[in-house]
Amino acid sequence: MNRINPLYATILLLVVLAIGMLKLSNSRDELKELEKVYKTTNRLSTELTALKDVYSDKGKVKESLQNILKQPVLRSALLKSDFKKSSVNISSEDMDINSLNLLMNKILNTSYNINSLDIKRISDEKVSFKMEIKW
Amino acid sequence: MKFNKQNKILFLDPNSDHIHADEKVHIVLSPSLYWVKKISIPVKSIREVKKLLPSIFEDVLPDGKYSYSAYKSDKDSEFLIFAYEDKKILDTLVKQNISIANIVSVHFAQSELSHITEAIGVNETQSICVKDGMVILVPRYLTKNSIKLDWNSVSLSNHKIVVQQFAHIVDKKSLYGIFTVLAVLILLVFSELYITNKKSKNISELKDELFAKNSLKPTIAQNQAVLKKYKTMYSEQTKLREYISYLLDLRLKRNEQITFVSFQEAKVIVSFSGTNEKNFSHITSLLKSKKVTFTTSHTNGILNLEILL
Repeated sequence: MNRINPLYATILLLVVLAIGMLKLSNSRDELKELEKVYKTTNRLSTELTALKDVYSDKGKVKESLQNILKQPVLRSALLKSDFKKSSVNISSEDMDINSLNLLMNKILNTSYNINSLDIKRISDEKVSFKMEIKW
Repeated sequence: MKFNKQNKILFLDPNSDHIHADEKVHIVLSPSLYWVKKISIPVKSIREVKKLLPSIFEDVLPDGKYSYSAYKSDKDSEFLIFAYEDKKILDTLVKQNISIANIVSVHFAQSELSHITEAIGVNETQSICVKDGMVILVPRYLTKNSIKLDWNSVSLSNHKIVVQQFAHIVDKKSLYGIFTVLAVLILLVFSELYITNKKSKNISELKDELFAKNSLKPTIAQNQAVLKKYKTMYSEQTKLREYISYLLDLRLKRNEQITFVSFQEAKVIVSFSGTNEKNFSHITSLLKSKKVTFTTSHTNGILNLEILL
């Protein structure tokens, strides 16, 4: 006819409840932290992806530069282009100012990563031109 | 040789000799350990009777915590109802050195001895007899020949009670209430714990997906370093285009012209020929108004402007 002391049973249940609440509190903190990290990661990922798209898409940069350099109006500029693994060097020893204006207009209005630029006036109408674009 | 050993039957009375039990026993309670009434009420079931017991005994019982029991008597609509203090019974058991663990069942004398025809001596001063169907304790001198009963010969009925060991601390109803509340709280807490853990797992998976989908570096710190590099690149390129547009907006004097433009390592160098060493503020004022950081040097009529991005 033995019965468990209800006081012990109540204490046991209270202990179980206390342990549960402690675990829940820790779990909630962990969830908050994970949510914070996820938000940061998401934001970072969005920014990084956007910037990589603009500056590091080799195929895109190469294709658009080639399209610019192919233009008939730039033929007289005698531009040389040397495409490497992660950059291109565009140069002309002798180009007219109009071609320079057109070329610079196209390049400056596009999000190329201009690593270096060198324009020297040779005469009133002519300049020498050197530019390196990287990706 | 006994193959089916029957448990001993002990009569429990506060005034009896110490009985002591090391083996399993059935207990028959003395009338001094309970209150009994015979009632006739038009109800069909014991359950309905039991609901009424506290109010039936209300005016009769002295202060204390009581448990109740009832069973149907042989006559129709007649019930035998009992009230007893669990603590009093437990204290008597302890006094008699009977361990709770050895008790098989507890019966009332009323239910087990109502058939006796002669008085039974229970201690030196008291006897049990039956009067008007009720088992009562009477002073021994009132009964002529009180016999000594062999308790082990008594055939016990099915009317038994369970003595609540802690009924005097908290009653059953309150106890069940407390346990129910705690159980519900525990269920709620652990349910929420499960849900929270699941959410955490989902977010971790989403984060891993994000890393994989965007080909990110393994750690946040590495990705932040890459982002910083791109942001610097973006800032530099934006400024380069901005400053070139300022240079193109310059209103140069008649003999002045830009002879050299160079950009390398975050520095723009521009050379202006035909400039007056003491008078080139028309060139620098625009840059100053745009808060551009620059230095100037003038040699042989050539103004060299160095702009830091």
